[in-house]
Amino acid sequence: MPDLDQSDADLLAGARAGDERAFAALVARHEGAVAATAIGMLGYGDDADDVGQETFIRFHRAIDRFRGESSLKTYLVHIAMNLSLNALRKRKRSLLRFVSRDETTIDTPELRAGPDEEVDVGEMQQVVRRAVRGLGEKHRAVVVLRMFQECSTREAADILGVPEGTVLSRLSRAIKELEARLEPYVRRGVVLPETIR
Amino acid sequence: MIDHDTSPEDSFATLVRGAAPTAFEPGFTDRVLARLRAEREHPFSLVLERQFRRIVPLLAAASLLFAAYNWWSSRDTASSVIDAALNLPRVSMASAYTASSLLETATTTEPEMP
Repeated sequence: MPDLDQSDADLLAGARAGDERAFAALVARHEGAVAATAIGMLGYGDDADDVGQETFIRFHRAIDRFRGESSLKTYLVHIAMNLSLNALRKRKRSLLRFVSRDETTIDTPELRAGPDEEVDVGEMQQVVRRAVRGLGEKHRAVVVLRMFQECSTREAADILGVPEGTVLSRLSRAIKELEARLEPYVRRGVVLPETIR
Repeated sequence: MIDHDTSPEDSFATLVRGAAPTAFEPGFTDRVLARLRAEREHPFSLVLERQFRRIVPLLAAASLLFAAYNWWSSRDTASSVIDAALNLPRVSMASAYTASSLLETATTTEPEMP
């Protein structure tokens, strides 16, 4: 049984040798990074789960070619981001056939907590996630990479295939938009829970 | 990595960062492994998919070449670019009648089986 303390390199060596448990340990270790990307971009649901699975399947197919020029996490996030953007394009094409653009707008939900009342962590997280999902595709991708994944500007630029300046300008615009969307909660004096403060 | 400080922007960043999803629905690793096993058990569909991906660009390129050749050779006679690319002959009422009369002639003059 692979030890959870084993390094990625050791687990990779095991997975390359055909050890399924070593591969499973890699999946479990990096599920969070892939989930933050896929769910951050697509929201919870089957699409995000499919993207997550496909990310690891593609990684498995290319495992012998992975040379470790970037960290495994960055490599997986790169695949997950590309697949998520493809899924979004597919979704947009099928949505546009049936629904007008106005109907696809995502509203930020109301919080149940009153002013100066501490809000539930899960509830606040949902509000923020919905606000992120309401961003345009390009801005959302930058928020997911820079803020959810804490990638550097350089890494985000490499993953998205755009110059670093573009990442910075998109991030700045995305933050302004998010602040505007979340402003009512801040204005209402909603008290953030300690865990996300 | 993002630098952390205590500015108001940082508390906003912390709020957003704290909302990052951390996992898929339970059983994610098992679903991935099940797909991997299915791929190993049914490699034919995988091979077919890969071959299809290799062949499709070649077929598309060949189709474009034929279309370009057709357009080049019949650009002066064809009535539209599409007709030229598909090498469609001009059809007029006269030619249609000629074709049907030719067909009639062919059927009436067909020799009977002994």
